[in-house]
Amino acid sequence: MSPLRPKAPRSREKRLDTLGAWLGTVSVASKEFAGDEIPQRIRTFAQSRNDDLLYALRILAGIRDSVTIIHGPRGCVASSLHHLAAGGNNTRWVVTNLDERDTIMGADGKLRKSVVAMYRRYHPSVVFIVGNPVIAINNDDIQSVVEELNEELELPIVPVYVTGFSSQNAVSGYDTALHSLMKYLAGETSAAEKKEFLNLLSVAEHPQDRKEAQHLLEELGITLNVIPDDSTIDLFRLAVAARASIPLCPDASEYLGAILQQKYGVPLIDVTRPVGFGGTGRWLRSIATFLGKEDAAEELHRRKAVETARQLGSFSLKGVKVYISLSSANAFSVLGLVEELGGEVAGLTITHLDRLHIRHLEELVARNPSLQIHVSDGQAFEEISILRTHSPDLYIGDSTHVGQVARLGIPVVSLESLALVGYSGVVRVARRIKTALANGSYGDSLAKVNSPYQDAWFRRSHNWHIKQEVK
Amino acid sequence: MAHHLEGSRNSCALHGALQLFEAIDGVVPVIHSTSGCGVQHYLGVTRMSGGNDPFGSPPVSSSNIGQKHVVFGGGSRLREQLKNTVKVVQADLYAIVTGCSTEMVGDDIAAMAREGRDQNWPVIYTNTPGFSGDVHHGYHLAVKALIEQLPDIWKERDKVPSGLVNIWGIIPNQDPFWRGNLQELGRLLEGIGLVPNLLLGSEQSVASWQQIPGAVLNLVLSHWGELPARLLADRYATPSITLDSLPIGTAISTLLRRLTELLKLDTIRTEAFISREESRLNFQFARLADIYFHAGFQREFVLVGESAQVVAIGEFLGKSLGLLPRTLIITDNPPDSVHQSLITRLASIVPGYDTEVIFSEDRTDITEFIRASAAQLVLGSSLEREVSEESGVPFFALSFPLADRIVLERSYAGYRGATTLLEDIGTAILAFNRDCHLC
Repeated sequence: MSPLRPKAPRSREKRLDTLGAWLGTVSVASKEFAGDEIPQRIRTFAQSRNDDLLYALRILAGIRDSVTIIHGPRGCVASSLHHLAAGGNNTRWVVTNLDERDTIMGADGKLRKSVVAMYRRYHPSVVFIVGNPVIAINNDDIQSVVEELNEELELPIVPVYVTGFSSQNAVSGYDTALHSLMKYLAGETSAAEKKEFLNLLSVAEHPQDRKEAQHLLEELGITLNVIPDDSTIDLFRLAVAARASIPLCPDASEYLGAILQQKYGVPLIDVTRPVGFGGTGRWLRSIATFLGKEDAAEELHRRKAVETARQLGSFSLKGVKVYISLSSANAFSVLGLVEELGGEVAGLTITHLDRLHIRHLEELVARNPSLQIHVSDGQAFEEISILRTHSPDLYIGDSTHVGQVARLGIPVVSLESLALVGYSGVVRVARRIKTALANGSYGDSLAKVNSPYQDAWFRRSHNWHIKQEVK
Repeated sequence: MAHHLEGSRNSCALHGALQLFEAIDGVVPVIHSTSGCGVQHYLGVTRMSGGNDPFGSPPVSSSNIGQKHVVFGGGSRLREQLKNTVKVVQADLYAIVTGCSTEMVGDDIAAMAREGRDQNWPVIYTNTPGFSGDVHHGYHLAVKALIEQLPDIWKERDKVPSGLVNIWGIIPNQDPFWRGNLQELGRLLEGIGLVPNLLLGSEQSVASWQQIPGAVLNLVLSHWGELPARLLADRYATPSITLDSLPIGTAISTLLRRLTELLKLDTIRTEAFISREESRLNFQFARLADIYFHAGFQREFVLVGESAQVVAIGEFLGKSLGLLPRTLIITDNPPDSVHQSLITRLASIVPGYDTEVIFSEDRTDITEFIRASAAQLVLGSSLEREVSEESGVPFFALSFPLADRIVLERSYAGYRGATTLLEDIGTAILAFNRDCHLC
């Protein structure tokens, strides 16, 4: 059976044993993932975190000439304002604005009207219909609207069946969006003839990160087809004719790479994320080996590395204890960068941990088996408690709670809107770190504001509230 | 039947309730919903109004229900979350708010709040599914929960100062200038001898809300404040004064005089206060004059915002600054019953001049109205920047959402807010003129 046959892919928990809550050393984590049975963990106290809907929207925001209709109540589209403000937004955001009656009677009529109205208003090249908790609970019939209007309007209409509750890990939302994009836009069959170009899989990346990766590969004379960020719908069909696919982030694009390989026979080049000197060099080398361009890649890496080292000058993190809190692939790669710069990694918080990370865990076990890994998305209270015990010299993060961290008097570098890929990323990150370490006076000002948490919480273990799920 | 919306700026009831609770020191909302609701609120509301709330980050407690709870009910998850919220997060009051999912599943929130109270935890609740309405509805639900449930938790009341006035109808974040506006209003009320009970913002805590019943007056500053005033009239027979907005500039003197008369305050003191404030503002008007004429400040403008903002800013610019209100677009969906009175009021700001008044929250409709207006100045939210640039007219962002401004204590209300507004709009026009010379 085609992997694209179901409405949505299985969650990351089911496919990759993904954990969203965990605390322990890398050696314990590595042992746990060596086994077959990995019990899910749940929190008995929690704070808001991303869900699959929010992650799916990140991808849809990047598809050009599109309309994104969130078939749900009005609040489910709130974050679109963030995408509009952040720039790089390619879609038009619409919400069907379901009211109480709609939640009882169903609202496929309303959906149909919205699609037709948006089609008439904009004549987009594609319309996305995005699910949410209300639609998932009600089991609204999106599918028949998709099929009817697809024929009537001769317009690709792509349903994205996110639910907001079926996975504990927001990253599943990337998979759900990519599943639908491929299912409806890539065609049924693989390409009759493979072409010379390669796919660059860029999933919800900072535009500058995507461009840096493109430049590097173009220097190697590689022609690229970039999906899904800032792409048009034709590029998904084109993607199945590529010679191979290159992930920019092996974690975010895992499902897309796998589908291209399994269903369309496009080989996936096995890489880690191109962050830091070593990481970027490894990424280029893996790609070059596949293409037989080892010498050119080696030359490019040497040239860029020398230039980057010159720009860094005497900058070093020697003697600086760094805490890293990032999405998983970023965290493991920034860890490499911090160590290259001479810093010591005091601990990690990552959004999720699963079988995709076994390689990183094994490397870390060999180097630093007692390093602590904390798995959490958005659980500021856990991080604050951990940071109070670690008291690092620097915090590198991209979460929504960096402000709370800064109140502890720890210098903070936020990567939320800072591009970090490639050689230029090294320089950019280093510059931010340098300024953060040079003046902590804002942290001192922040430290005068009270913490929202009870003292009693800080006296308990960081994970007393994390339990094994009872099936 | 509700219609689909493009580029919505009124979010949902849950988010409206969160905005209210987060604006009161010591109140911690406990969200009972799926995990993303709090993040949507953070990305789409909190970060779009010029500055975060002091915690930063999304709300600090959320039950994040999963598949299991959707199928079997989420009551036990809420019980567990509430119990542990009390252990982890400091608060004077915990306020349970719900999302669409838990309402559809049918969790008994009232029972969970009652259980919490039986443990002597200060807990209130309100059912706030997004499908029940927008932020304004959420404001109503949260205010109602506080008014109705606080007296059950604290039976004893502190002594209330005499001349206490409760302020209603200013919605945190949905009016990005709410903090500064409340502070300026507080200063003005103090200036005529009253004690403002601002209820939201700096130093406003649960204690402020406990004083509500002892107030001499409810001062309502937008249509959205009428509901709490009505509830309080029923419960405590408190009288109220209802305005469409918090006035800017000399228009506030009417309110100050009305309060003085109604509450039998010291007329001499009020008049002295008004005269001092007005002469300072008049002085600033005079200082602006040369630039005003040379730079061509006098223009037709479009104004997009909540009804209270449109009334206050529209009237100030039209009645004191000589600008011409071409098209006024009201985005907060006031009920049909108040449309006519708003239209009548706004259409007559400049007698003999044709002002168009529109009610819409759809970004594309609003964009079309702006294009059609051919106005020479656009005042609105960040969503209107694009069409202003396309039309080649100066633009100034002053309503929600604000993506590229920092607003901490800035005020566009009263006398001081009038000066600030002159500074800001004037600066925008000068910057535009300079760029025009360059191009």
